[in-house]
Amino acid sequence: MELPIQLSKDSREPIYFQIEEQIKALIASGQLSTGALLPSIRTLSKDLEVSIITTRRVYQNLEQQGFIRSTQGKGSFVAEIEEGLKKEVKVATVRLVFETAIETALRHDYSTEQVKEIFSDLMKDYEDKGKGE
Amino acid sequence: MNHAVTMSNVHKVIDNFQLESIHLEIEKGTIAALIGKNGAGKSTLLNMIMNLFKTDGGDIQILGQSVLGEDESWKKNVAYLPQKLPLIVPFTGHEMKELTARWYPMWDESLFQKIILLFGIDLSANFKKLSPGTQQQLNLALVIARNAPVLILDEPTAHLDIPSKQVLNDLLIEWMDNGERTIILATHQVEDIQKLADYLVVLKDGHIAGQFEKEELIETYKRYWFSEPLEIPTLPGEVERKESSLVTNRPTEAEDFLRNENVRCSNTQTLELDEIVTMLLVK
Repeated sequence: MELPIQLSKDSREPIYFQIEEQIKALIASGQLSTGALLPSIRTLSKDLEVSIITTRRVYQNLEQQGFIRSTQGKGSFVAEIEEGLKKEVKVATVRLVFETAIETALRHDYSTEQVKEIFSDLMKDYEDKGKGE
Repeated sequence: MNHAVTMSNVHKVIDNFQLESIHLEIEKGTIAALIGKNGAGKSTLLNMIMNLFKTDGGDIQILGQSVLGEDESWKKNVAYLPQKLPLIVPFTGHEMKELTARWYPMWDESLFQKIILLFGIDLSANFKKLSPGTQQQLNLALVIARNAPVLILDEPTAHLDIPSKQVLNDLLIEWMDNGERTIILATHQVEDIQKLADYLVVLKDGHIAGQFEKEELIETYKRYWFSEPLEIPTLPGEVERKESSLVTNRPTEAEDFLRNENVRCSNTQTLELDEIVTMLLVK
């Protein structure tokens, strides 16, 4: 199974961290359900064009943090995770996207006040379209 | 013992070409791409690992066993596809398979048949009559199906068309997943490196200029863009300077340096692997 992971090479976040966070988000959002079989580290490394050293590190970290469990010879599966942890990941995922956006704006010499303005303009657009909640 | 192949202090003089103090360790379970310009010594190095060229000194081991001694049992652990086959045989694919399979106890007939089917090879045709691409496909099938824990391929994709390259990549990935296996491939194709390699081994003028883990290497190179014309002294690790951009392979020091010089860059960029490979091979 191919995972919908998008890597940004120019991001300040290292590649292994980006993969790790996105797999966590897939698990927290339920796109990867408990018990789902993950690709082997070799297959994932081919799909993402990264080395097996990177994917091995990702799976080791995810296993330590309780997101996946690996069985010798059978592969790695999505573990059962608590609701609390799922929520944490969701918050972290959204925060990370905002942080990246803020950094981009600051790099373009906007002040934090201006960033807030841009953000509230965008939110207003969403609400006007009736997409907001 | 975690290494599939080790070379320690190996040297060799051939005519006016010299391989000097080669140290190399290839970790089990990984794919290493051996890269270098034409004539850098890639094929010579692979032939030495196979003990087809004698070394002038040093030791070479495959799975912990020296290839230089009397005992040749290491040969069952390695399957090698040279760039040029020593002789073109007047056999059909079927006959070549029969001749190969009987020599290798680990021969995987169903894997062989699968590869033949995936490439669409006619085994009843005489080898000499096949196109270079099909000859290469057949050779690959013969070498992969031996199921030796160490696979050494010299320019495996050289004659292959785009769909066949894809087939080969998928085959090799699947093959790697079926046990503790290792591949060393000499290649000029950035695509092979991108899709397959965990490590890059750079061979330059007869010596190993470096061995790099792929992501580590990519993270080492940074390009900075500047909005004003450059009037900066040489950056730490500077490897390229253009009108409004600089490339370094020591980004942490370079960024400290820019901060001290009070220079702001307008953008920071990671390089593409092919650019990095070119810089490694040329500079």
